Amino acid sequence: MALGDLEREVMTQLWDAGEPLTVRQVHERLSRQRDLAYTTVMTVLDRLAKKGVVQQQKADRAYKYAPSQSREEMTASVMLDALSSSDDQDAALAYFVGQLSPDALAAAIRASEKRK
Amino acid sequence: MTALLLGALGLTLSLVVPGILANARWPDRAPVGAVVLWQSITLTAVLAALGVVLAAPEEVTRAAGSGKTVAEVAVIGALAVAALIILRLLISLYGVSRRSRARRARHRLLVDLLDRAEQHRELGPDNLRVLDGALPLAYCVPGREPRVVLSHGVLQVLDRAQIDAVLAHEQTHLRHRHEVVMESFTAFYRAVPRPLRSRKPLDAVHLLLEMIADDVARRRTGAEPLRAALERLTDAVPLAEDVKPDPRGDARRRRLDRLAESHTPSVALNVVAGAAAVGLLVLPTVILVVPWLDRALEAWPL
Repeated sequence: MALGDLEREVMTQLWDAGEPLTVRQVHERLSRQRDLAYTTVMTVLDRLAKKGVVQQQKADRAYKYAPSQSREEMTASVMLDALSSSDDQDAALAYFVGQLSPDALAAAIRASEKRK
Repeated sequence: MTALLLGALGLTLSLVVPGILANARWPDRAPVGAVVLWQSITLTAVLAALGVVLAAPEEVTRAAGSGKTVAEVAVIGALAVAALIILRLLISLYGVSRRSRARRARHRLLVDLLDRAEQHRELGPDNLRVLDGALPLAYCVPGREPRVVLSHGVLQVLDRAQIDAVLAHEQTHLRHRHEVVMESFTAFYRAVPRPLRSRKPLDAVHLLLEMIADDVARRRTGAEPLRAALERLTDAVPLAEDVKPDPRGDARRRRLDRLAESHTPSVALNVVAGAAAVGLLVLPTVILVVPWLDRALEAWPL
């Protein structure tokens, strides 16, 4: 299984849990579907923490891991990032199919965020 | 005289020509040729500026009959300024591409983590990622490991044929490395001194690249699904009241018109535009620069 897929599944477990999990807890949840080494899960969590998408917290001598943003927050910020193509500074990050102005789309994303 | 002519050429190419070309409608029928022409205009303007810097001091000192020392200083100064211009362009290009790469790498990491893989197994491409969210968004993130990103909203408002058309459009941006074209124009834009700057080439080339991607997608999936997808993706977004629907509404109209039955792409226009691009690059060099170089080298002071 590719590392990228594993990272995604670990994140999904953390998001679905709704509370910080230990390595052992993440390992247990993932092991329901397949065979996976404990150390592999540890490595993946460590990598995600280094990338800043997961936060490590110390609790009762064990490390717990939680996503730094909820899935909804991260989705919204990714979309806003894609839209904020300040051409004066950089080439556009992304190419959109639609021809709506990025400002209009960004406003729509922020509005849907507020409704939640 | 050479310096004056090159200066006039450079100013015409950076101040007058972009406005005319940006307002022209023939590029809709020959977007590839038009992009090449934009590139040639930009490059020729840079070369003309370099030409002015190199030729002007030499011509002035020769006309004034200055002594050897003055001529030497003039040549060294000219070479230094020319090197500075080139350096500024290269630094700008390096900065733009480095920042874009870093931002895209981070973006790629996040869409990989957010991907709802189970929603799109049957849709095909390995580099496709689907995000949660009802707002229909479809875009691609270029680079060495490119991604095509769709929001869940896209899967809801478009049918399969329309999704395929959207994917074909985005894959064209990625395969043709359109980001390299845009980055070079952006780098040039940023390197030009403010009074001479113009956003026109950036916006025009961006639209032309969209048209090129549209053309490839239409050949693969037909024009109708792509046209319908474009209309639905823009109509399905609920707009906040204080935001104008689309300051570039004209661009959207032009793309939709091109996808209508009556639109005819023109090979001849592409060829003419390509020839004009080559001519623009070559002719000033042959007519103006080579004769000047002949005279200048004869009197070379160093």
